[in-house]
Amino acid sequence: MTTTIDRDEPVTVKPGRAAKADRKGPRRRISARTVINTITILVLLYLVLGPLIMLVVSAFEDTSGGVVITPPFPWTGANFDTVFTSSETYSVLWTTVLFSGGALIFAFAVSLTFAWLVERTDMPARNTIFVLVVAPQGMPALISAIAWSLLLNPTNGFLNEVLRRVFHLSGPGPLNVYSLPWMILVQGMALVPLTFLLVTASLRGMNASLEDAARTSGSGFWTIARKVTLPLLRPAIIGALVYEFVTVVEAVDIPLVLGLPGHVTVLSTQIYNASHPPVGLPNYGVGSTYGIFLLILALAPLLFYNKIIGNSSDYVTVTGKTFRPKIQELGRLKPWAMLFSWGYIFVSFALPLLILIWASIQPYFGTLSRDALKRVTVKSYKSTLSSDLFATALKNTIILGLATAAGSMILAMLVSWIIVRSRSRFRWMADVLAFLPHAIPGVVIGLSTLLIYLILPIPVYGTIWIIAIAMGTQYVSLGTRLTTGGIAQIQRSLEEAAEASGAKQRHVWRRVLVPLLRPVFFNGFLMVFLASIQNLTLPLMLYSTGNLVLSSLIYTRWDYGDATGTAVLSVVMTAITIVAALFLRGAGGRRAGD
Amino acid sequence: MAAIKVDELHHEYNDRGRAVTAVDHVSFEVEENEFYTLLGPSGCGKTTTLRCLAGLEVPTSGTIEMDDVVVFSSRGVVPTHRRDIGMVFQDYAVWPHMSVFENVAFPLHTGKRLPGRVIKDRVHEALELVNMAEYVDRKATQLSGGQQQRLSLARALVRQPKVLLLDEPLSNLDAKLREQMRKELRFLQRRVKVTTIFVTHDQVEALSMSNRIAVMNKGVIIQVGTPREIYQTPHSEFVAAFVGATSFIQGTVTTIDTDAAQVTLDTQIGKLVSDLHIELGVGDLVTVAIRPEAMRVSSDPFPGPNNLEAIVDIGLFVGDAVDYHVHVGDELLRVKGSPRSHYRRRDKVFIDVPPAECVLILRADEGPAELARPEDTLEPVMIDTTA
Repeated sequence: MTTTIDRDEPVTVKPGRAAKADRKGPRRRISARTVINTITILVLLYLVLGPLIMLVVSAFEDTSGGVVITPPFPWTGANFDTVFTSSETYSVLWTTVLFSGGALIFAFAVSLTFAWLVERTDMPARNTIFVLVVAPQGMPALISAIAWSLLLNPTNGFLNEVLRRVFHLSGPGPLNVYSLPWMILVQGMALVPLTFLLVTASLRGMNASLEDAARTSGSGFWTIARKVTLPLLRPAIIGALVYEFVTVVEAVDIPLVLGLPGHVTVLSTQIYNASHPPVGLPNYGVGSTYGIFLLILALAPLLFYNKIIGNSSDYVTVTGKTFRPKIQELGRLKPWAMLFSWGYIFVSFALPLLILIWASIQPYFGTLSRDALKRVTVKSYKSTLSSDLFATALKNTIILGLATAAGSMILAMLVSWIIVRSRSRFRWMADVLAFLPHAIPGVVIGLSTLLIYLILPIPVYGTIWIIAIAMGTQYVSLGTRLTTGGIAQIQRSLEEAAEASGAKQRHVWRRVLVPLLRPVFFNGFLMVFLASIQNLTLPLMLYSTGNLVLSSLIYTRWDYGDATGTAVLSVVMTAITIVAALFLRGAGGRRAGD
Repeated sequence: MAAIKVDELHHEYNDRGRAVTAVDHVSFEVEENEFYTLLGPSGCGKTTTLRCLAGLEVPTSGTIEMDDVVVFSSRGVVPTHRRDIGMVFQDYAVWPHMSVFENVAFPLHTGKRLPGRVIKDRVHEALELVNMAEYVDRKATQLSGGQQQRLSLARALVRQPKVLLLDEPLSNLDAKLREQMRKELRFLQRRVKVTTIFVTHDQVEALSMSNRIAVMNKGVIIQVGTPREIYQTPHSEFVAAFVGATSFIQGTVTTIDTDAAQVTLDTQIGKLVSDLHIELGVGDLVTVAIRPEAMRVSSDPFPGPNNLEAIVDIGLFVGDAVDYHVHVGDELLRVKGSPRSHYRRRDKVFIDVPPAECVLILRADEGPAELARPEDTLEPVMIDTTA
């Protein structure tokens, strides 16, 4: 006897296949999987496209009465007129190009040099240098900007005072950190740790026999570097370049702390100023217009990137078996290499950290003198750390970090599963949507999230949750990059074996996927946590008295002129992030570092 | 009664907008407790067919019945976890985060709750079957490839499924282990009596283990038969070439002797006499397929009707035989010689082709059929067929 299992539920067309080939199409149940996939994609759509739509709408509206999303729309081209006709726009654009280009050139020159020294030469203490070059990653760019301002501001900058005393100079200066060249330098140094990590990882993964082959073909050092090593590293370098470019153009911390006093404006600060003017009402329309500019600027290199990485299979540099690469003996250059390394580490890491500690144990910021040594006190630590403001900010920071990390990682897992495993016809959509926030500058995400919740009747405006939503959106890209790799590493048959053993989808996730993904999830969770507590852009763009976090607290204290309080908070913040970073290295360090 | 009935199974998928047919209206039936093999080169649709049976792929159309239950038809599809199957994957798919016990116990936790003692007994029983009982407490990652394979088999059998699906389970093992597992797997299947569908591209595995073999190519089943039928009377050049090494000679029927049941052919290497085992008429174009081990080689002429004069190109000593590549006129032949023979390049030898060993394949008029001959068929199969 033959029995048929009936399926009376409505037809859901299995995407991609059945539709064309079989007119009748087998009836299928709406599986739990379909529901989860659909919800995931809808959430992603809302988070990513919602803000972008708001951005475009408000750029084309007269926003003097706020952004309007119901007819009648106050459509206008005035914002674009304002932006295009203002000569300021062009100078801001030019400054942005100089600022980001300069910082990137600096960061890559330094990172490549360090990568080569650490990976391919006999320089002493290579492992220590590796750790110390990466360590400033624990110091948020905001804090290093503050430290450099303490060191080099023209009036009472520590180094300026020293120089004045040594060379018997008077007046302000001689160095002025509130200028474009110094901004470039400080931003460049802030980019080095991550750039260095990305470049070393691929240099280390590169099959040394490719270089050996060139060597046995009679090539010398420079020929190998020029013809083999650098070309093979090209995808990695370009990948890092595109990533860091977005980081620079979206950054508000260094441009605000160092650029504002010196009237050096870049696009990101222009957007911040338009939406958070020191006086008067915010002009969201003009802000959005600048936001669209920045978005285009950030997206442009991606087109270029895809063109090159599109045929990345030509660059298979990582193979299973890697041999120890040849170690270049530095010989006479060794002292210079060491001077460079330790000198850079001192300037980029030790000096800012020391000045912050110094400032934090002084009642007011002054020059180094015998009197100053007598004034050393930890009173500011007591008063700052026991304040209600600090307690609130700390609590908010932790909530923000945990919520952002949990939210974006869970979403990232679900999205990655769609990208890697499903045959849904919406797969490409998940892929693009998860990648997009990576290319959208933080200021733009901040601005458009602000616009959305000014209108939507969801009571998150002014709370910590609006920051969490914006940050979750931004970091879903980072999370997806990690989890996609993680899920791709899990052989599909491990899931199929569970299904063939009679496990429902729910069980497959609970008993097979989740346990196997736990390390990836944990690693990503910490990374996102770390990134979100360091982030200043979003807390500042979405700032209100109710959602103060540590980074925005530091900035407001600094803005207020409280050098000592700022220094205390900076030291504490740096300590927290370094501890969290050590945690991360311990948990996933073998993968990231080795 | 058939344990598995597949009717007009069709599977198309979309590859960058182009519809690709993986399985093209395939029908077959598998008897209860039969060991049924889908054999074919990679990309022939055998794995897709198996995955449709498992429910891991959803076919475009057709019907699949398992144990009298329609698991797929145009009216609905039973999801994988509700099918009464056990499956072994090519890459074992042993869960690395579970112990051996947990791996095997997993299928028992999916249905209705069983008492712990029952689970323990059944896991033990399953592990015993595959001689893995002493590894029960190990971590899955501490096992060798062969052990993981056994574990994966135990896991597939622990639910005592009606149907066992094996997706190239031996192809990741090394040669020695593979040979041993062939025997063990077959013994095991006879003992536990489970209808088995086995997918492989290895003709030796297929011939040595199966009750019946379905040879597939380009999404279609070309021939179904017992291993002997498949090997000894292939219906097409593809099957002859895929299942073992074969020499092909093209010819035309000149005379038919119905009393002696023999035909005489005019071929490129001269007159050839063959036993008549298919219906033929004078003038028909045929391909003669001859197995290397069916021919004899000697320095002296043979008395039989098909005594060919050949020149040795190369003789490869493979231990239990010498694999001679010779040419007769312009035609190349592979002949298996005794391990004691020792002919060198350019030696003149005689080849005997017994009329009973010639397999006639009727050719369509448009000339020699296209030989979809995958590389792996070039491996000498002779070693194993001597036994």
